[in-house]
Amino acid sequence: MQHHDVGRRAVLAAAAAALAVPRAGAQLAAKPKVTVISQWSSGPSGAAMVALGKEFEQQGGTWEHNPVPGFTTEMMNKLRAQIIAGDPPAASQLKGPEIAAWSKIAPVVDLDATVQQAGYEAVVPAELVRLSKPHGQWIALPIQAYRINTLFVSKKAADRIGLTTLPATWAAFNAAAEKMRAAAITPVANGGIKWDDGMKWEIALCGISPEAYRKAVMQLDAKTLKGPEVLAAFRQFRKLGDWSDPGRAGQDYTTFIPRFMKGEMGMLLMGDWAAGVYKRGGFQVSDYMVGPAPTDDGKIAFDLNSDEFLFWQNKEPEFQEGQRLLAKIVMGKEFGPLFCQITGSIPVRSDTDLSAAGFTNQQREASRSMGEATKANRIVLSLAHNMAQTNQITAAMIDVLTEFVHDNRISPEDGQTRLSDAVDNVR
Amino acid sequence: MTWRERRDRIAPHLVIWPPILVSCCYVLGFSAWTVWVSFTRSTLMPDYAWAGWRNYSAMLASRNWQIAYTNLLIYGTLFVVLTIALGLLLAVLIDQHIRAENIYRAIFLYPLAVSFVVTGTVWGWLLNPTIGVQKLMHDLGWASFRFEWLIDRDMAIYTVVIAGVWQASGFAMALLLAGLRSVDGDLLKAAQIDGAGRVRTYLRVVFPTIGPIFVAVLVVLLQFAIKTYDLVVALTAGGPGLASTLPTVVVYDFMFQRGELARGSAAAVMLLGSLAFVLVPYALYQRRKRRKAGAHA
Repeated sequence: MQHHDVGRRAVLAAAAAALAVPRAGAQLAAKPKVTVISQWSSGPSGAAMVALGKEFEQQGGTWEHNPVPGFTTEMMNKLRAQIIAGDPPAASQLKGPEIAAWSKIAPVVDLDATVQQAGYEAVVPAELVRLSKPHGQWIALPIQAYRINTLFVSKKAADRIGLTTLPATWAAFNAAAEKMRAAAITPVANGGIKWDDGMKWEIALCGISPEAYRKAVMQLDAKTLKGPEVLAAFRQFRKLGDWSDPGRAGQDYTTFIPRFMKGEMGMLLMGDWAAGVYKRGGFQVSDYMVGPAPTDDGKIAFDLNSDEFLFWQNKEPEFQEGQRLLAKIVMGKEFGPLFCQITGSIPVRSDTDLSAAGFTNQQREASRSMGEATKANRIVLSLAHNMAQTNQITAAMIDVLTEFVHDNRISPEDGQTRLSDAVDNVR
Repeated sequence: MTWRERRDRIAPHLVIWPPILVSCCYVLGFSAWTVWVSFTRSTLMPDYAWAGWRNYSAMLASRNWQIAYTNLLIYGTLFVVLTIALGLLLAVLIDQHIRAENIYRAIFLYPLAVSFVVTGTVWGWLLNPTIGVQKLMHDLGWASFRFEWLIDRDMAIYTVVIAGVWQASGFAMALLLAGLRSVDGDLLKAAQIDGAGRVRTYLRVVFPTIGPIFVAVLVVLLQFAIKTYDLVVALTAGGPGLASTLPTVVVYDFMFQRGELARGSAAAVMLLGSLAFVLVPYALYQRRKRRKAGAHA
């Protein structure tokens, strides 16, 4: 807080003015300001936050971004500390059911009026609407979406086995993988750390049956967890593990990108952000094929990951103004192109025009898929990326999955039993 | 009393009290808070509703904790025994009045200057079958060579032992060497006169004399082992699966990844208990020794 030398008369005049028009006076005086915390410190995501900050300042606000690099949970630790200290940021990145969980521990801003004014609800996928208004009113705004079930195939590896189109079903995928193995190519290029392991399983299940995924993973339905689709997912997961590099334990998928591009490894099941990593690694779009991961019925399924902003209540008018301005920008039509062209993600608004040169074909295809999957009710929420369950349940499930895929002595049937037991323990 | 005397009397208090107060506040205060939280229903945030022993029984029953504690027993025992054995061997070898002793000492002590994260990462590369030693051997033509501990869930914890021993044996060597050098020359001469050979002198005269140093090294290494966190995170990330996880990793996982403050605190308190299990007997041993020394004097 700055102290100015102000004459007594001026103070009196100001006080009189404030008394005369208290509301309007306060609002006019406040320059919109936000403090934001997120995990996006560098790379494309960091650059996108900088762009958002510039836009915010251009519209007359003061922008303060305090990134906490690392996993989302790292950022949450900072957020927790700030909430305990009674000083939450104006806005913070959060996602999935954590929005509901965190909104209970400190007061958040009710965004209903702003959202209605912007007509936003009609243009956002229903799954995201549900996550953003856990208690009936809007408290969070989605800013970008990613498709988890994305398949990348190394062009060089594909050429060696004569693969020209992406395998559409798991059977086709498995056939291609066998061909690759016969050609001394490591068929699967995924890494071997927990979330990567969990993701392979969820992509398998999503492709086998999005309906079963919704019941088993999102609703934790006991019968479906013990059902045939989940067992089939464990079987496919085992295959994916067997086709991966034996040295993948503890390694990030990015370690394998050079070998993948050289054609020594064949296929990578990863969220579409991997394209941004390739780009930064100096690889071209022509080095790989990309599209949806296999689905057994050949129809579109969409495993969704999405980041949102949650707004924390603040008494200062400048912050309230800032939150209003930030919400307006984030919900605006121009925000998708501004943010997602940098990060490579999918704009949340279904009416965003992706024909601009800044978008890639991959983004256009994924965005189209999201729209179609929304209509067909075949959107599911990612487990490994904390969209389907709170961290506590997610971690218990991922523990089982990661143990299973690194230990061939556990049969798919045992794996399935362990998973439903783990769910029962934390339910 | 002159001002000088008064100053001399006050100065020690001025020096000693601030750190004592700070450590009371931070170490004891926060430990007490953690113990308290471990008996509550806290999840994402501290919540002071009483939960009794529930968090402890939940942690004890959890698979992660059981694996982690078994691993701690394996790792702690092997790490301490092997580090002392290797450190002692190095110390005795260097004690032979070799040339360029300082260079060897620096080389063996060097790993201690490397952070655990670096140690873990480097050993992770070395032990990884597709890029490390195994690949080197295959490239050299020894195609049947296999060393896959890092990715073998039954053996992964031993890779942590290897990296840990590599890191800490220089430290054990330095302390033990200082001990060897402190042995009274007259004793050695007496042993020589009595006709004891070199091996026998070490076993019967030197090692028993530096017994207290062994105990000190043992205690330092044990609490090292219990606190190990970054090494295993960098080396195996607790994997494959959960195979090489340690209690510290579980504490962090529950507290900061899963948002289970109370369970994580319960795990932390149990870990603190393990430390006390090592340190309290040591403190008692020290006290007994002092009393004995007092009785002799």
